Amino acid sequence: MEDRYKMGMLLGEGSFAKVYLAVDNSTGEEVAIKVMEKEKLIKLGAAQQIKREIAVMQRLRHPNVVRLHEVMANKKRIYVVMEYVPGGPLYWQLRRQSRDNRAGLREADARRFFQQLISALAYCHARGVYHRDIKPENLLIDKNGDLKVADFGLSALADTARKEALFHTVCGTPLYGAPEVFTRRGYDGAKADVWACGVVLFVLTAGRKPFPDDNINNLYSLICRSEYHCPSTFSIELVRLLHRLLHPDPARRISIPQIMEMRWFKKGFKEISYYVDNNDRLHKLDGSDKLELDDSDDMFPPSPSTSEYSISVVRTLRGTGGMHTSASAPALTELNNVSFQPRMRRLKSLNAFDIITSSPSFDLSGLFEERGEKMRFVSDASVSVIISKLEEIAGMVSFMTRTKECQVSIEATKNGQIGALAISAKVFELTPELIMIEVCKKAGDIAEYRQFCDNELKPGLRCLVAEIRENNDAVECSA
Amino acid sequence: MGCASSKQFKRGAAAGHEDPAILAKETTFSVSEVEVLYELFKKISHSIFKDGLIHKEEFQLALFRNSNKKNLFADRIFDLFDLKRNGVIDFGEFVRSLDIFHPETPLADKIAFAFRLYDLRGTGFIEREELYEMVVAILNESDLLLSDDAVEQIVDQTFKQADLNSDGKIDPDEWKAFARKNPGLLKNMTLPYLKDITMAFPNFVMNSGVGDEEL
Repeated sequence: MEDRYKMGMLLGEGSFAKVYLAVDNSTGEEVAIKVMEKEKLIKLGAAQQIKREIAVMQRLRHPNVVRLHEVMANKKRIYVVMEYVPGGPLYWQLRRQSRDNRAGLREADARRFFQQLISALAYCHARGVYHRDIKPENLLIDKNGDLKVADFGLSALADTARKEALFHTVCGTPLYGAPEVFTRRGYDGAKADVWACGVVLFVLTAGRKPFPDDNINNLYSLICRSEYHCPSTFSIELVRLLHRLLHPDPARRISIPQIMEMRWFKKGFKEISYYVDNNDRLHKLDGSDKLELDDSDDMFPPSPSTSEYSISVVRTLRGTGGMHTSASAPALTELNNVSFQPRMRRLKSLNAFDIITSSPSFDLSGLFEERGEKMRFVSDASVSVIISKLEEIAGMVSFMTRTKECQVSIEATKNGQIGALAISAKVFELTPELIMIEVCKKAGDIAEYRQFCDNELKPGLRCLVAEIRENNDAVECSA
Repeated sequence: MGCASSKQFKRGAAAGHEDPAILAKETTFSVSEVEVLYELFKKISHSIFKDGLIHKEEFQLALFRNSNKKNLFADRIFDLFDLKRNGVIDFGEFVRSLDIFHPETPLADKIAFAFRLYDLRGTGFIEREELYEMVVAILNESDLLLSDDAVEQIVDQTFKQADLNSDGKIDPDEWKAFARKNPGLLKNMTLPYLKDITMAFPNFVMNSGVGDEEL
């Protein structure tokens, strides 16, 4: 521990954890380390959940969600190493506002934070992860003034801590809990998160709590009847949205996709496009940002002797339905143009060791996870024929494609959400006459991937190769 | 470290196995990561024979979800992992071998491991026949059918690039030069996954037997 991180000051303290600032000795990067006492977790009955949730949390990659870096443990404690967000919690900003004698943020500022909060939740909910403890203390502001949701996936703790709080009222205010959280055993995490977002939005805009918590019994009855009063400064649209967010009946409460359809929400909402680079870092794409997809974690990192292609795992985060904005479009269009221009570089030619190295049977990652499901095809068609075929196949099922040089990235959107499935198809030269196409899953659900391969890709490519086979017996195709 | 810690560890999850603190010292892995690897080792080594050692069948089962699948490379890797050459992989061998695949392990170690892997007959050279055999094996496994001529052509081409003194075999220095020029060849010597294992297998957090002072 000491040789990996230098522990710094205490950043915060909750009922079951302390959070310290620390420096990663190898990179010099600042991180936040959450330290939990195992004994306490066991007492709370949260030992099983925390394991499951760490596993879920490590897969989350979103610009508005705090990243998990590493987990360590000894006999007594668990250390969760996370991204450090220097701006501190959102409520500091609120305090600053109230010092300036302003009640709450301006509606437009509150809306920006709310949009970022909802887009983080939409992403996580689509992956089956619920927060269950949304409150301003868990919403951090980074140096660009953007919001990041902390403690995603540690929700099991939130639930148990809340139960404790109910009986002991030691810590953790129940203020952000939805009515069903107090009354029911099981509840819908998505709907409870929506309620909490409603309370957050109210606090941000009004600068005070919707339900006064000076009397705990009174508080529960106010929450259960959703009894609150909006300041007269609120716009009609905001009042309407709050009314739907803070609906006491979870079944009739607004859903995240519905929120994203509301006019108040859509105002100035920018689709966030981002991609994950080879160092697993997120890069946002705004109109100004050039899309740099060169990704050397790939099979064949650039080397002076061979020409190179790049792989892109671009995930486009968008709202539902018609919310597509053009923020990232220019960069992407540009990419598409590159693909078939004469300055396309020479095709990477494979040597014998390349063939061996990239063999699936040589991939030890099978020890750790489901196999990447790589497929290879051989064809003697020209590169441009193969690439347009790949684009055509993807187009048939309305998957997005991006082509750069000899690499086609195929992405699917799931439930109108995020690019949930990402597939890469690369083209290599085997011999001067033969070309190898390598297809593998980059992100997303394995079943969905197989379905696409079996129903679309294989039949599509097979027909291409079969056609060749008629003219030239030497070429075979396989899946 | 030292006596006190190994006693503590014996009481912990991995009784009878090497002390994670020592393994962490010798490898790129942290103590927690070694404990995660122990969870993984436990799973694999109990999948068939339940004796806390990884047998070849268990290794194949873990890699291919199939214990009967004959595979040249799984065999080769198993043999290289089996440092003591006693037909099974114990926990220490498992950790030290996987260390080669850690993203932060020096390239030179990976290059050397790959050489031993490809030197099928252990002659100290990668011979033309060995390379031919491997390419054919790989192509067969992937059901890619290429004519003998095409395979010959590919192997010839590769030897032209790698066998600098044209003696028909690749020696360790030629391999080093070739691998440095084509870093993509070492791609399968790195498992990016090893950087994230503490989060992917958080089971260890409640089982950790490591003392306070060792983390």
